[in-house]
Amino acid sequence: MWDNFLQGILLSLRWDTFGMMGLGLMLGMFVGALPGFTTIMAMAVLLPISFFLDPMVGIPFLIGVYKGGIYGGSIPAILVSMPGTGAAVATTFDGPALTKKGQSRKAMEMALFASVSGDLSSDILTILFIGPIAILAMKIGPPELAAIILLSLIIISATTTGVFAKGLIMCFIGLFIAMIGQDPLGGMSRFTFGFFAIKSGIPLLPMLIGLFAIPEILQAVEKKVTSFVRKEFNLQTGEKLTFKEYRRCFRTILRSTAIGTALGIIPGVGQVVAAFVGYAAAKNASKHPETFGKGELEGIAGAEAANNAVNGPTLVPLLTLGIPGDKVTAILLGAFIAQGLRPGPQLFAEQGSLVFAILIAMIFANILFVVLGYLTIPLFAKVVNIRKSALLPLTAVFAFAGSYVYRSDPFDLLILVFFGIFSYAAKKLSFDVTPMVMGYILGPVLEYSFGQTVNMAQGNTLHFIFVARPVTATILAITPFVTFLLWWRATRLRRKHIEAQTTAEQPAQG
Amino acid sequence: MTIRKISRFVMVAALLVFVGFSPALADTYPSKPITLIIPLGAGGSHDLNARVFTSVIPQYLGQAMVVKLMPGAGGQTGTSAAIKAKPDGYTLLFTHNYIDQLQPLLEKLPYDTLKDLKSVCRINYGAASVVVRTEKPWKTLDEMLAYGKQSPGKLVFTTSGNWGATMTPGARVLLKAGVQATYVPYKGGGPAMQALLAGDGDFMMSFPSQAGPLIEAGKIRALASAGDKEVFPNVPTLKSLGYETGTMDRIVMAPKGVPEDRMKILRDAFAKLNSDKTYQRLMARIGENMEYMDGPEYDKIRPMQMDEYRKLVKEISGK
Repeated sequence: MWDNFLQGILLSLRWDTFGMMGLGLMLGMFVGALPGFTTIMAMAVLLPISFFLDPMVGIPFLIGVYKGGIYGGSIPAILVSMPGTGAAVATTFDGPALTKKGQSRKAMEMALFASVSGDLSSDILTILFIGPIAILAMKIGPPELAAIILLSLIIISATTTGVFAKGLIMCFIGLFIAMIGQDPLGGMSRFTFGFFAIKSGIPLLPMLIGLFAIPEILQAVEKKVTSFVRKEFNLQTGEKLTFKEYRRCFRTILRSTAIGTALGIIPGVGQVVAAFVGYAAAKNASKHPETFGKGELEGIAGAEAANNAVNGPTLVPLLTLGIPGDKVTAILLGAFIAQGLRPGPQLFAEQGSLVFAILIAMIFANILFVVLGYLTIPLFAKVVNIRKSALLPLTAVFAFAGSYVYRSDPFDLLILVFFGIFSYAAKKLSFDVTPMVMGYILGPVLEYSFGQTVNMAQGNTLHFIFVARPVTATILAITPFVTFLLWWRATRLRRKHIEAQTTAEQPAQG
Repeated sequence: MTIRKISRFVMVAALLVFVGFSPALADTYPSKPITLIIPLGAGGSHDLNARVFTSVIPQYLGQAMVVKLMPGAGGQTGTSAAIKAKPDGYTLLFTHNYIDQLQPLLEKLPYDTLKDLKSVCRINYGAASVVVRTEKPWKTLDEMLAYGKQSPGKLVFTTSGNWGATMTPGARVLLKAGVQATYVPYKGGGPAMQALLAGDGDFMMSFPSQAGPLIEAGKIRALASAGDKEVFPNVPTLKSLGYETGTMDRIVMAPKGVPEDRMKILRDAFAKLNSDKTYQRLMARIGENMEYMDGPEYDKIRPMQMDEYRKLVKEISGK
């Protein structure tokens, strides 16, 4: 094991490995930054390049694309409130607010450092605990997944801004929207009214872009803003992130890394959920949760550290068993196989040094990532320097183009417009769209895993859960307590907030 | 003699070439890249197979082939897009038999796949094997099925999704043997295998690229395989045991109405792939066979397979 590890280090120290990894990171970052193009698409398109490269070059290249892509999605999320990938949605809560304050550079640097910190520590944890993670991943079946999703939905709903009931309503709207289309288990059409275009359901990315980017544009138009971003904060003078600020967010980064790593072990949950849960946890733990959503650096750190921390553990089932847990690892599996390497228990036993070399290359990728990311931030930040009269129409063009290229279906443009208007109206009525997005993303996973559980139980679900599935039973048992704790905290905070407001108002009245 | 002179010459030459040959270009198919729609998501076996052949086929077509992934509605989103495309030979569909011949039986679709699509060729097929964990007592398929018959509903079949590429052949075996099993669908073959290894399922159908390394590692055992030839040494084919299951045929289709001469150009290009060294090497690496079949021949099989599936769907879901 130790020999393999040392050999792995030697194997990974190659200039061409680093070169291609760097190229992969840059490509990933750019593709991730383009709305509508997902990291998965970028990897699928670039996969054939790896066929003709040495394994120690081709695979780190794809890993670079993957890591770069997840971070790249945060760039348009921060600058123009347009999530480039699903994983960047939680970054739109605080990123654009910071941009409006003229702190886009700070926000992007926070996203970069949080991403790299989360990624690096999760990679190291993965290397150290590859065995236990593999065993743990196996223990999580559909019943456990269903219980975890239920708990996540409660945590996220409880931490949204505004009235609890409104959050709940939006969550249910999200769950309903997720039901449109073919039901995930039986393939029956629901709520499609025989309309073919929505048979496959409401697509995620056009909906996200509509929900988050369109209201920003409309609001800017409404206010006739000459400067969407105040002029005095332009790129060159844009404030840099200070070490003190990073220190302040360090606890959040650690927490989100733990969350991301844990969720990465669970097959099929992924970055999107990790980012939301990381954000929610940061807000819950904060002493000043009211600053979240209004340009809080910790919010960005919480989301970005969590979504990148997923990267390490998702590779474990692939490397140890040859089983891809999600689409990204499925593409990596293709790359491995095309190299004549078959991931699985044998690969680890026979070519342990190569597996370690790839894992170590991932760590080096992070270091390279900090350098490349840091160098390119000023370039991306230039975007906000564009005159508003040009930037707003440009944002609109990207919103439409991004929604179209996702599936190349013109119908998606209608979805974009519909959700854009919906979100604008929701904003005016102070409804938060976040619980809706969560309901939409997690609903089908919950439904699917619950359906599987019922199938597995062969008719006696409760008995099955409590007798054969101790982990599920435990999670379900703690759920009411967590719910109560969150509710109690939320009401206490709101009361405090109201008290503070009334005491502030009293002198004026008296 | 200057650069300016040379560049002027090049420009004039380019102009002449452009003017002189453009009408000819319009007549020679293909004169622009061909779009290959895959109605499935990134990272699946179709994606991987397509990445291999689209990286080699430009040599024989003289044009690039661009993959366009259009997942959704179990494969019908991409299928519908291909059917609606102009039948000029610039849009093709890379699909499989369950999308083409089984899904239309489950749902009402605004088109008829058998009539609206014509086969260019079958690239190859995926032959799944019945696999169980090594801890299980069953050494042969018959032993497993006997257990299933003895205790109805106890045998758990983990599948890669309802009516997908691993459920359908498995269901045909169970139906023929008269075994009542519990079906648990997962989102793809990967999660299904993970569930099998974790002991949440008793058996599944697995493709060689997935099952191979796990069999070598002694984690699972293959009991029987689909297809005409043995996939693993000393593992009988389902056919030889009396079960007709079919395979997952990876097929390239074109919307109906593509001129015959263009169809011939496409079919010839795909046929030539099979003797290409790079193609052979890459296909062998990804563990896929090259059981190529010409389009017209495959078109004859389609309605027959559909009839088979019709019986199966009727038995299982009563539709």
